[in-house]
Amino acid sequence: MAIVLESLAKIVFMFLLIMGMVPALIWAERKGAAYIQDRTGPNRASIGGVRLAGLVHPIADVLKLVFKEDVAPTNRHRALYALAPWVVMTVAVSTYAVIPFGDYLTIAGRKIPLVVADLQVGLLYVLAVASLGTYGIVLAGWAANNKFTFLGGIRATAQMISYEINMGLAIMGLMLIFGSLRLTDIVAGQGGLLFGWLPMWGVVLQPLGFVLFITSVYAETNRNPFDLPEGESEIVAGYHLEYSSLKFALFFMAEYCHMVVGAAMISALYFGGYQIPWLPRPMLEKHAGLLLQLVLGLTVAASLLFAVLFLRRVQREKGKFGDARDREPVLGAGFWIIVALAAAGAFALRPGDIGATGASVFASLFQVGAFVGKVVFFAWLFIWVRWTLPRFRYDQLMRLGWKVMLPLGLANLVGTALVVALIGNGK
Amino acid sequence: MEAFLFFTCGALMLLGGVMMVLQRSAVVAALWLVFAFIAAAGVFAALSAPFVAIMQVLVYAGAIMVLFLFVIMMLHGPVLDGERKRLPLPMWPAVAIPPLAVLVLVGGWLSGRKAEALPAAPEGFGAPAQIANLLLGRYLLAFELISIVLLVALIGALTLGLRERKLPWS
Repeated sequence: MAIVLESLAKIVFMFLLIMGMVPALIWAERKGAAYIQDRTGPNRASIGGVRLAGLVHPIADVLKLVFKEDVAPTNRHRALYALAPWVVMTVAVSTYAVIPFGDYLTIAGRKIPLVVADLQVGLLYVLAVASLGTYGIVLAGWAANNKFTFLGGIRATAQMISYEINMGLAIMGLMLIFGSLRLTDIVAGQGGLLFGWLPMWGVVLQPLGFVLFITSVYAETNRNPFDLPEGESEIVAGYHLEYSSLKFALFFMAEYCHMVVGAAMISALYFGGYQIPWLPRPMLEKHAGLLLQLVLGLTVAASLLFAVLFLRRVQREKGKFGDARDREPVLGAGFWIIVALAAAGAFALRPGDIGATGASVFASLFQVGAFVGKVVFFAWLFIWVRWTLPRFRYDQLMRLGWKVMLPLGLANLVGTALVVALIGNGK
Repeated sequence: MEAFLFFTCGALMLLGGVMMVLQRSAVVAALWLVFAFIAAAGVFAALSAPFVAIMQVLVYAGAIMVLFLFVIMMLHGPVLDGERKRLPLPMWPAVAIPPLAVLVLVGGWLSGRKAEALPAAPEGFGAPAQIANLLLGRYLLAFELISIVLLVALIGALTLGLRERKLPWS
């Protein structure tokens, strides 16, 4: 019974993490694009005057998509047209099952590993699920019975098959080094130090493999510079052209879920997952009290800074809009002052001595925080790349995949195998 | 638990196979075949063979069937419309196989033979390391011969597929 509850709690945590990051990423995409293109970005939608720098826009989006008319082409294949968005979404969220988001959590004497399913063949599971992702896109393209969507679907198939091979080759180098297909083993193996000072992360051991992997992940997620299946300038919107309303929302959400999955895979395989360099678990537990005080102190400082920024706007923007939006600086300053007071109040509970149990729980949560931080960074990297690089041409995409990345991946694999045969692997 | 998974996935696999044969559209038939492959992976997983199960999805459902679909869609796969022919006599036994398989499945279930009757799989059975040791150790020759056969088939397909003989070595 306890194990069912544990698994359920972990599944809900992972699901909330993904679904919570989707609107945040949509916001980050718009604001990031605006920042890179030197404009303001979304800032009009507001709830009672609070605009949250455009964070209200994803809520407005959801409302719009839910209440929009669902327009569908007459000559579609009915069953497959309805099925395709669900396939895309299911595949996008099911990879998370094997990604470890923390080491373990000890509650009431039970040691709970922080991963939903610790599969023996976890890495292959990731590849298998990724390969099923093609179906949703190709079915959406075909079932809508439109030449442009069909071209998008065909492009997606060719592109994803080409880059899956490179992804598998890049991962094989890691398999050789860590001698396991279990994702928890691979993340745990990245905790050590190389030569006593360099963190033994995948990116340090497999720099070429990392470049190949991140490129293939970008191609698999169909994001710029690899978003040819959508290519607006040539095939309108590609595979999801004929979808509207909530069905389109599923495609839209799946894209961002894929981004979070890609970011989680990159951080778990090549950036140590939940591992914090030079701060292994025993040391984390030893200095838990000190770290907790540091975290609280930083929270107080940051929220005071935000409060001051909002208070300055109170002075400067008095009566700027002449409507509810004028209240935002006052509400914002009040919110951040309350946060600062709460964090300062936590010092009264003496965070310095939280005991052995508290230290263990804090260490687990701190590692989960480190993992989430890495995922957020790599998700931002997706957005950064999208608004920096232009789209590939189709022949360039195929040449890169087959004539550049495949030989490099094979060379990397053979080189790694030779080194592992000569000096042994990480174990 | 394993027995439940085995029989459920087995039944779904049969359903996928039957539905694939009954389709009029080649695309939908291919999708039912994918469904059957994924169910087959479930059967392998129930038989303590996680590696084979994942490979079933990765290779058959994920790679080969995607290429099948790709080709069917590119060539505008046939949709049979109102075309009803008498089944040739040699095909009749083939039609009888799926119902018989279902009968065997249900009969096995009803006869009450428990999964405990079988010896449990030893530790590490079906693990990637064990399969690798067998493939690259005891069965190395067979493994390499099969890969050569596949390579020859690949080159043969390429040679036949090219309309003009513009091979790099000719």
